[in-house]
Amino acid sequence: MAVLITLSFAGAGPDYRFDALKKLGRLEPKLCQSSTKPFSHKWFHCKCFWQEPRSKNLSLKSRELRTLRLARGKEAEDSFSSNVSEDTDDMFDDLFDRYGKVVYQSNDRMSPSIELDDDAESLSFAVEVASVANDVKAGDIKVLFVKPLVYWTRFFIIATAFSRPQIDAIGSRIRDLAETKYGRVPSGDSKPNSWTLLDFGDVVIHIFLPPQRAFYNLEEFYANATPVELPFENQPPFRG
Amino acid sequence: MIQPQTHLNVADNSGARELMCIRIIGASNRRYAHIGDVIVAVIKEAVPNTPLERSEVIRAVIVRTCKELKRDNGMIIRYDDNAAVVIDQEGNPKGTRIFGAIARELRQLNFTKIVSLAPEVL
Repeated sequence: MAVLITLSFAGAGPDYRFDALKKLGRLEPKLCQSSTKPFSHKWFHCKCFWQEPRSKNLSLKSRELRTLRLARGKEAEDSFSSNVSEDTDDMFDDLFDRYGKVVYQSNDRMSPSIELDDDAESLSFAVEVASVANDVKAGDIKVLFVKPLVYWTRFFIIATAFSRPQIDAIGSRIRDLAETKYGRVPSGDSKPNSWTLLDFGDVVIHIFLPPQRAFYNLEEFYANATPVELPFENQPPFRG
Repeated sequence: MIQPQTHLNVADNSGARELMCIRIIGASNRRYAHIGDVIVAVIKEAVPNTPLERSEVIRAVIVRTCKELKRDNGMIIRYDDNAAVVIDQEGNPKGTRIFGAIARELRQLNFTKIVSLAPEVL
């Protein structure tokens, strides 16, 4: 925002002078064309302009001031632009003096410890879901920690099922587990689909049929995500 | 504000390049579609040698609109183009990757598949 403000200031300078120049040009076009000595001519324009508006109305006072400023020639123009930047610098210095020491933090940001706890909770949920999928013989299960890559979720679980009934079985087992143990209800596909997606917020589960898994190739798209090691290869967890 | 006859860009690698909306799915006489709405569209321009061809009728989800999208927190999102992603009858995207930024409202509207294929979510 601050940048925008400064830009508009800087932009206002030349326009403003150009405006005045145009007006002068309207009054005395001949002189404008033959401006070999810019300083003196400008001064002359200015004089013309000075006299005319006075007789007409008073509302043009600001214009008069502009033309006066213009009349100081090129040096004046330079000083004008530097004045603007100095003014804004002063303004920012004042603001910094007043508010610079105060560091604001948004309230919605959690402390790192709470965030870690949340991650751990999601991780345990994700690993449990993966082991449930393993129980129903889903193939090639991968749990990816995608939080550093996308802001909208923490874990991806990608699994392959070999038929639609199996997708249905995996989906319903996962839903049951989430509802009974964690009290969560997923959004996403309710019917078995060639790419069935269950969205638990922080954990998103993708169950593919083998051709779809190769087609969409999500692992490659999220190749930079850290894979989570799964316990059930060595010691299958107990499920009641 | 997408209505029948509106031309849209395609924001995926399905093979279509340009669509024309012919119907908005939802209420019976709906006037305009916005981000996250499903439309029936016809392919006006397609990449050669791809499964999708010109003058094919498909379904698509609108992912970007020139008309601004307002959020409850006061944020306003406005894109430079109208764009859609081609989907099939089941709701799976026909392409494998999405191009450009999309809005997170798609996730609430159960298009998480599109969101998970997108490079940037606003």
